[in-house]
Amino acid sequence: MNKVTTILWGLSALVILSAMAAITFGPADIDSAELISCLVSSCQNPIVNVIIWQVRIPRVLVALVAGMGLAIAGAILQNTTRNPLADPYLFGIVSGAGLGATIANITLADNLTIALPLAAFLGALFAVIIVVFIAKVLQRMEQLLLAGVAVSFMLASITQFILYFGEPFATNRVIFWLMGSLARVEMSNFYVIASVLVVAIITVFALHRQIDALLLGDESAASLGVDVDKLRLLMLGICAALTATIVAYCGGIGFVGLMIPHIVRQLVGVTTLKLIIGSALIGAIFLIWVDVIARSSLPHAEIPIGIITSALGSIFFLFIMYRSRAIN
Amino acid sequence: MSTLLNISQLSWQVPNKAILHNINFTVRKGEVIGIIGPNGAGKTSLLRCITNQNNILASANVTGSVQLKNRAITRYSTKEIAQHFALVMQKNDSIFALSVQDVMKMGLLPHKTLFSLDSDHDKAQINLALKKVGLEQALHTNFNQLSGGEQQRVLIARALVQASQILILDEPTTHLDVYYQHQVLQLVNKLNITVIMTVHDLNLASLYCQRLILLNQGQLICDGSPEEVLVPKQLSQVFGLPCQKSIDEMTGAIQVSFYLPDSHGKNSQFPESPDE
Repeated sequence: MNKVTTILWGLSALVILSAMAAITFGPADIDSAELISCLVSSCQNPIVNVIIWQVRIPRVLVALVAGMGLAIAGAILQNTTRNPLADPYLFGIVSGAGLGATIANITLADNLTIALPLAAFLGALFAVIIVVFIAKVLQRMEQLLLAGVAVSFMLASITQFILYFGEPFATNRVIFWLMGSLARVEMSNFYVIASVLVVAIITVFALHRQIDALLLGDESAASLGVDVDKLRLLMLGICAALTATIVAYCGGIGFVGLMIPHIVRQLVGVTTLKLIIGSALIGAIFLIWVDVIARSSLPHAEIPIGIITSALGSIFFLFIMYRSRAIN
Repeated sequence: MSTLLNISQLSWQVPNKAILHNINFTVRKGEVIGIIGPNGAGKTSLLRCITNQNNILASANVTGSVQLKNRAITRYSTKEIAQHFALVMQKNDSIFALSVQDVMKMGLLPHKTLFSLDSDHDKAQINLALKKVGLEQALHTNFNQLSGGEQQRVLIARALVQASQILILDEPTTHLDVYYQHQVLQLVNKLNITVIMTVHDLNLASLYCQRLILLNQGQLICDGSPEEVLVPKQLSQVFGLPCQKSIDEMTGAIQVSFYLPDSHGKNSQFPESPDE
């Protein structure tokens, strides 16, 4: 077994251990013996049973697939655009979701449990469609990222305009939603995110050689028989669906897609297959533990998960800049 | 020698300018062809048409035909074209730290199906190709850290893994110093496959190509052996400078040199560019 395979197996084991350990964290004290008996046979205490199966397991599983999904989306976008700073958030996906959520909040007072994620999802897709449309009109697919940044600011300004004149309660809801949280997730959310994730992973596995060919430039990839524009569009579509689904249920969780692939490249390499598997595993471990911090660091309150990922992400980013300065 | 490529009446017209005008030539198996000419003569455009990059031949501005093995190149899929042509570009670096192995694996792409992984046979092919270009030790080296000459050799090795019949090189020696220029061209010459390359340095072209095609302002001026093409009068007209021919004592190859009209002096009048 070579070094990369060993690392990936080690990370897989860490994902399972992290998920198990994360279930024991929370306001109610549940020790590992009780947890194991609940998982393998049946719970002695019915309250513990409810907490484990209906609160903690869904939450840990959603953290797992959301971490995987955000990290994979970042990795795919970075490789297909050859830009190490590409991130699903830069393509307007979150500001689109924010606009969708805002409109749903302002126009619908109730029924928000279904309407909010749906509106956020539609908003995110809407944003990506505009970005692709602009890039098509300009006939410059390599400028997707710049178009994304512009669209992102445009949608955010519309959202802020609506919120500024909107009803304060609705505004509050949207702002808290944008900070990201796994507090309200259910098992059904896990199934939806996991299905999109499986489709994304299968597609990337199928096309991994094509994506790799892009790493030495569009011209080189085209000479190897890759339809560059079509491939880039397909990958953007997959990343958009993946991120939009996650953002719809969990709100804005930033920096995961940017940060995780950077770490993975140092550990296992830059080609797509290794990068995707590594990003999925480290993304899962990262978000599981960030969610543990979010729900257990303050005594009677939760910290929105997006605040923690952004804080860690920005520090991490500065650290990378500092380190690359030291190397150069 | 059997005919591989047949280019006939190829023209590429954009408003107010003919990028290529009525180009006709055939390429036989095993030939090493150098395309020469001044900047803007249409050398790289010709390469783009031959390989139908971005489906350029389907564009309304392009007329004429390119046939590969007696079949119009427009009827080949992009994958089939990649199985026939391998391209080595001028500039190849990646923002990510690709290893030589990663770059070599790209050459497998035209022969692979979706989901496929690398077999032992693939790895053997990669090692063999690297050995042919003298870089078998470099398999795990970072591609970006290689010298320009080594990068070109890796890309030529990638073309070997690609197992295509025609190797296309666009200015393969541009960023290389004298040693690597000769090393790369000698390597290309020894591979025993059909090669079409654009070359700026006429003396290198003379030394390493069996056949030269001289382009100027989109037109094919001359097509033949270095002796037939490197004629001082012809070159003076195309490049706009007086030209002199000699035979290199060591290699026996034709060498040409250009000079300013009343030369030796730094203050001599520079002639106007022939394009203007």
